Amino acid sequence: MHVRIRYMAALRDRLGDGETAHDLPADVTDSEALIAHLTRSDAAAAALAAPEIRLIRNDRIVTRPSALEEGDRLAFCPPFTGG
Amino acid sequence: MPSDIRVSAEPIDAAALMAALTGQSPDDGAVSSFVGQVRAEGDLVALELEHYPGVTEAALRELSEQAMARWSLSQALIHHRVGRMAVGETIVVVAASAPHRRAALEAVSFLIDRLKTEAPFWKRVHTAQGHYWVEARDSDTAASQYWRDQIAQEDA
Repeated sequence: MHVRIRYMAALRDRLGDGETAHDLPADVTDSEALIAHLTRSDAAAAALAAPEIRLIRNDRIVTRPSALEEGDRLAFCPPFTGG
Repeated sequence: MPSDIRVSAEPIDAAALMAALTGQSPDDGAVSSFVGQVRAEGDLVALELEHYPGVTEAALRELSEQAMARWSLSQALIHHRVGRMAVGETIVVVAASAPHRRAALEAVSFLIDRLKTEAPFWKRVHTAQGHYWVEARDSDTAASQYWRDQIAQEDA
């Protein structure tokens, strides 16, 4: 399965800027398995497992864990701080 | 326009927004508002707001529609600025117009409390030395949770 990932705000400083393409192993089918997969190549990605990290999937805010599908565009977000 | 949602890098003229909202509806006895502005804090030189175009506006529209329905508002307004702003500049204006004051006041409180935790915005403080990201406050999370619980109770 192929997905594109980007990181917002403070997460961008720690995990990288811009959208990156990922070819996922067959057993990675939801957001939490994805985080574990990302953590294997970059220990800093372990921060994504924190419950306060929000996920935007294909331009919709979704609750975690969220199932993933081919072609998903994902954005991991630190807690929102607007207003 | 019952729900007036805007996210923009243009400066916000809060007084002009209120002038446009007041005196418009003969059925409304109350217009309530909240204006958030950049506070001089520590070594802050500027505050920068980042958002997620499209998703942020959709989140604000959803909150606005919830408030419209729950408090029977005739109008709800959320204008939020993004980009870089200086001390004293307006970050956000939230306003509600309703027949009676309780509805207008509560709706504004709901909208700003929920906006802070449910709409994708992120604050970054610029200083002479660099920048740091503002962390979410427990008190903001608690205020947002209060409304979430209120709505869950009423829907139950």
